Amino acid sequence: MKIRVLSLILTIALALSMVAMFSSCGKTNYAENNTKIKIGLSGPLTGGAAMYGIAVENSAKLAVEEINAKGGLNGILFELAMLDDKHEANNIATNYASLYEGGMQVSLGTVTTKPGLEFKGYANADKVFFLTPSATGDDIPEFSNGYQMCFADSDQGTASAGVFNAEYQGKKVGVFFKADDDYSVGIKNNFVAALDKSFGEVKLASFTEATASSFTQQVSDLKDCDIIFMPIYYDPAALFMKQGNGIVKADAIYYGCDGLDGIDAVDGFDINSITQGVSYLSHFNSNTTEGAAKEYIDAYRAKFGEDAPLNQFGAAAYDCVYAIYDAMKFAIEKNNAEIPANIAPDALCDILTAVFDSKDFEFRGITGAPEEDGRSTITWTDANGNATNGHVNKTPVSYTVKSVTSAQ
Amino acid sequence: MKFVKHYLSYIVIGALAVIISAVGAAGGIPGTFSALLEQSVIAIILAVSLNMVVGFLGELSLGHAGFMCIGAYVGGKLAVLLSSSLGGTNIVTVILALIVGGLCAGICGFIVGLPALRLRGDYLAIVTLAFGEIVKNIFENSEFFGGQTGLKTPEFTTQRSTRFVLFLIGAVIVLLTLFVIQNIIRSKHGRAITAIRDNEIAARATGINVTKYKLMGFIVSAVFAGLAGVLYSYSQQSLQAKTFDYNYSIEILVIVVLGGMTVNGSIVSAVLITALNNILQTNLGGSFAVAKDLIYAVVLILLVIYRNAPALKSFREKYNLANLWKRLVKPKHDPSRVGDDSVRWDVVPTKISMDEVLSTDVVIDTTGDNSADIGERGGNK
Amino acid sequence: MKFLETLINGFSIGGIYAMIALGYTMVYGIAKMLNFAHGDIIMVGAYVIILFLPINPVVAIIAAVVLCALLGISIEKIAYKPLRGASPLAVLITAIGVSYLLQSLAQIIAGPNPKLNNLFEKLFPKFLETHRGGIITIGSFNIKLSTIITLACVAVVMVGLTLFVKRTKTGRAMVAVSEDKGAAQLMGVNVNSIIMITFAIGSALAALASTLMMLDGQKFAVDMGSLPGIKAFTAAVIGGIGSIPGAMLGGIVLGLVECFAQMAGFGEYTVAIEFSILIIVLLVKPTGILGKKRREKV
Repeated sequence: MKIRVLSLILTIALALSMVAMFSSCGKTNYAENNTKIKIGLSGPLTGGAAMYGIAVENSAKLAVEEINAKGGLNGILFELAMLDDKHEANNIATNYASLYEGGMQVSLGTVTTKPGLEFKGYANADKVFFLTPSATGDDIPEFSNGYQMCFADSDQGTASAGVFNAEYQGKKVGVFFKADDDYSVGIKNNFVAALDKSFGEVKLASFTEATASSFTQQVSDLKDCDIIFMPIYYDPAALFMKQGNGIVKADAIYYGCDGLDGIDAVDGFDINSITQGVSYLSHFNSNTTEGAAKEYIDAYRAKFGEDAPLNQFGAAAYDCVYAIYDAMKFAIEKNNAEIPANIAPDALCDILTAVFDSKDFEFRGITGAPEEDGRSTITWTDANGNATNGHVNKTPVSYTVKSVTSAQ
Repeated sequence: MKFVKHYLSYIVIGALAVIISAVGAAGGIPGTFSALLEQSVIAIILAVSLNMVVGFLGELSLGHAGFMCIGAYVGGKLAVLLSSSLGGTNIVTVILALIVGGLCAGICGFIVGLPALRLRGDYLAIVTLAFGEIVKNIFENSEFFGGQTGLKTPEFTTQRSTRFVLFLIGAVIVLLTLFVIQNIIRSKHGRAITAIRDNEIAARATGINVTKYKLMGFIVSAVFAGLAGVLYSYSQQSLQAKTFDYNYSIEILVIVVLGGMTVNGSIVSAVLITALNNILQTNLGGSFAVAKDLIYAVVLILLVIYRNAPALKSFREKYNLANLWKRLVKPKHDPSRVGDDSVRWDVVPTKISMDEVLSTDVVIDTTGDNSADIGERGGNK
Repeated sequence: MKFLETLINGFSIGGIYAMIALGYTMVYGIAKMLNFAHGDIIMVGAYVIILFLPINPVVAIIAAVVLCALLGISIEKIAYKPLRGASPLAVLITAIGVSYLLQSLAQIIAGPNPKLNNLFEKLFPKFLETHRGGIITIGSFNIKLSTIITLACVAVVMVGLTLFVKRTKTGRAMVAVSEDKGAAQLMGVNVNSIIMITFAIGSALAALASTLMMLDGQKFAVDMGSLPGIKAFTAAVIGGIGSIPGAMLGGIVLGLVECFAQMAGFGEYTVAIEFSILIIVLLVKPTGILGKKRREKV
C-alpha cells in the first residue's frame, strides 16, 4: 500500500515541478503585465529596528502618493511593495526573489546595511537599479546598479573628524560606539584614523545588543571627557545622555552622526534636562522649521500621526522616490528614453544609471544643506563631473540640537 | 514493502532532488521557489541533526546554531582562501569546505559533549545556549573572519544558472545525514543511545558506555550542523554572526518538537515551518508585516497544544490523518505477523513523556502492520 | 576609586538581573518549566507603567504589578495548563510562542518607537531639585538613588520570598508541589491553584523588575525583555536554579562581570565572558553555586 502513497507523492511533486517549469520557462520580464511602475524594497518592519523600516515605508508611500496625485510619470502611476526582513540578511533571498518575481522594476534596496550586502548581489545579477535611503555601508554601491542617498560610513567618520580637528582642538575626546553594529564600528574606525594626533589618546567605550539596557558603566568610563563622539542611533544615545546626567562633565558636548537625528524627540527624554551640549553632522534634521524638509514633516505628520516614527531614514526614502522619479523624467526629456509601465527592470536600470552617472542630472532634495529655495543639491557625480560609483554627493550640515546650558 | 518503508524518505528526497535539479538546470525554477528549497534543505539537515540530541539522546540543546556558525565561518573562510587557486565554487573547494567545516563543528561538538557528561536537563540546555552565544560573539569580533562587516564568501545563489547546484549539494547532504543518523539509530549504538535517554542509570548498569554514546550523539549532531553551516555560507554573499544567535537555535528546536522528535517528522516539519514562514513573509509586507509574527505565534501555540495536550489525546488518535488512512486502506489486522520493531523504533516515547507512558496502557497501535509497539510485543511473547 | 565605582555599577545592574532571576527561578522551581515569556511580561509591565504614569507613578506601579500577575495567570491557564503532563519541551515551545505573541501584540498596540521614561522624575521630584540626575555625591564618589532602591528592593523581596516559602502554608504547599506533584495532590494540596499562585507571584516580580529597570532610566521597546530574560535565566542557573538566594547571587555576579569586563576594555566580549563564567561555575559545581544536589534513583 505504501507504494501507492509513494507514487502519489512523487506524481504530485513531479506535477508541481512541471507547473513551476512551464509557468516560468522563458519568462524574463516579470513586469510585463504591470500597469504601474513597481518600486520594491526590503527593511525591518518588526523587531528591534522596526522604527527605521516603518519610517522608510511611510515616507516612500507618501512620496509615491504625492507623485501619483500629480499624475505620475506622464500618466504612468507608481506603486510600492515593501517586505519585512527584520534587519536579518538571511531573509533577503526570499524577499528579493518575491519582489523581483512580483514585478519590481526599480528598487530602494534595503533600509539597513547587513541585509543590503545580500541584496546588492541579487540586484546586480538581474540588473535591477536600486537607490538605498539608509544602508550606509561603504560596500553597498559596489556594483554599477547600486546607489546611496545617505552618506557612506567612511565619509561620515572622516567628516566628523574634520569637524573635531577644526573646532575642538585640545579637548579630551571619548568615543561611545556599538561594537556589534557595522555602521557604528565603521564610522568609529574612520573617525579615529582621521582624528589629529594632537588629541592624544581617545577614550573608547562600547556596548552591544546584549548590554544595551543600561550604560551605567560606560558613563563612568567616559565621565572625564570634554567631548564624546557617538556614532550610534538616537535611542541608545538618549539613554546614555539620561544616565550620564550629573556624572558626565556638565559642559561636555555630545557629537553624533546622522543616526543621532531624532534625539530631541525621544519619548520620555527631555533633552533640556541635561546640561551637556548636543550636536550632530547629518543630512537631515527632523525638527527643522524651514524649507522643503518642513513640508515633508508636516505632510508626514498629517498622514501618519504624531506617534509614527519620523527620522532621517524616512526623509532619505522620500528623497529616493523623488530622485528616481526625477531621473525618469530627465531620461524621457533629455535622453529621449521610453519608459512604459511594463518596462523590464534591466532596461530601466540602463536608463537610470546613465542619468545618475551624468553630471547634468542634479536632484533637488530635502536632505542635505538647504539652499535658497529650501532644497539641497544632490548629485552622484563629484566636483569634476565624474561619476562617484553610487556614493552620494551632497553637503552635510552640522546641527546644534542644544548648546551647553550653564550648571544650575 | 519493508524496503520501501525503510527508505521512504530517501526515495522521496532523492526523486525530488533529481527532478528539481533537472528543471533547475533548464533554468526553470523561479527564485522564490529556489530560496524556499535552499532554506528547506538547510532546515532539514539542522532539524534531523538536532533531533539526534533532543529526540534520541534526550538532552535539550539550545546551541545548535553555534555549531552551524562554526561550520559556516570555517568552511566559508576556507572557500575564500581557496578561491584564488581552485575557485570558490569549484566542486573540490566545496567538498573541502564541507569536510573541514563539518570536522571543526564536530570537534566543538566533542567539547560541548564533555559538560553533558556531568550536567542534566536544563543546566545542560543553558550550557549549550552559552556555547552558541560565545561562538557568535567570538566570530563577530574576529577581524580574520571579517569582523563586523561580515565574511564575504563564494556563493551559488545570485546566478540563476548555478542556483540549483546548491540545492543538489544540499539534497546529497540531506541523504547523507539521513543515512548516517538512521543507521546509527537502527544499530546497536542507537539502542544504547535511546537506552541512556530512557534511563541513564539503568543503561550504565547494563554495561553501556554512557560517555562514549553521549559524546557520539553530540559529535554526530554537531558535524551535520556544521555541514548545514557550510551550505548556508554558500547561499549567502556575506556571513553575519548575528544570524546564529539563540533565536535561530530555538527556531530549529521548534521544528524538531513540532515534528514529534522523530526523523521523518523533523523532515516534514522543517519543510512545513519553512514554507509557512516563507508564505507569511512574502505575502504580509508593508503595514501587515507585524501581523505575520502574530499569526506565526498563534499557529505555534495552537499546534503545540493540539499535538501534545493530554486532554486532546483521544481526539487526536481518532482524527489522526495516518489513522484515517489506515482505516480506509487497511482494515485487516493479522496478529500472526511479527513486525520488525526497528521500523517503529524511532517513535518510542522519550523519557520526557515517561510519566504519561507509565500511567497509561502502552498499546498505541494494533490496527496496522506496525504490531511492534512495546505493549503488543510484550503480549505476544 | 575606579574599582569602587565599577563595583557599585555592577551592583546596580546586577540588582535588576537579580530581580528578574527571582521571578524566573520561582516559576522554574515550582512549575519546572523554562518560562521564555518571562522577559516579555517585563515588557508588558513597562508599557503598563507608561500608560498609567500620567495619573500617578505609585498607581502606575501597582497597576503594573496587578495586571502582570493577571497576565501571568491567564498565560498559564491558556497556554501552559493544557500541556500539563505532556513533554516539558512542548511547554517550552508554547512559552516561545507566547513570547512572540506578546511582542507582536505590543508592536501593534504601542508602536515600534523605543521610549525612555520619567518614572524617577515623577516619583522623586523634590530629590531631583537638589541632586542632578538623582545622584548622591559623597566626596568624589557618586551613587545613584535608583541603585540604592534597587538593592533594597531585591533584598526585601528575597527575604520576603524566603520567609513566604518557608513559613506560610501556601509556601510550604509550593515546596511540596515542586518536590512531587502527585504526592502533593494526595496530601490535599490543590496543585492547580498553587501553580497559578506561582505564576502570579513570578509575573508580579517581573513587573517589579520592570519598575526597577525604568527607575534606572532604561529605555523600553517591544523586544526589551528577551535579552534580560536570557540573562536572568543565566543568573538563576549560576546561583543554582530554584534557589531564591541563589538567584540574587547569580544576578549580582552577572552584573559585576558585565561592568568589570567593560572597565577592562573588553566591552565587545561581554557576552562571551559572562557565558564562560557560567560554564566554569557549572563545571565546578553542576547545580550552580547554591543549588541543591538531588540524588537520582532508578
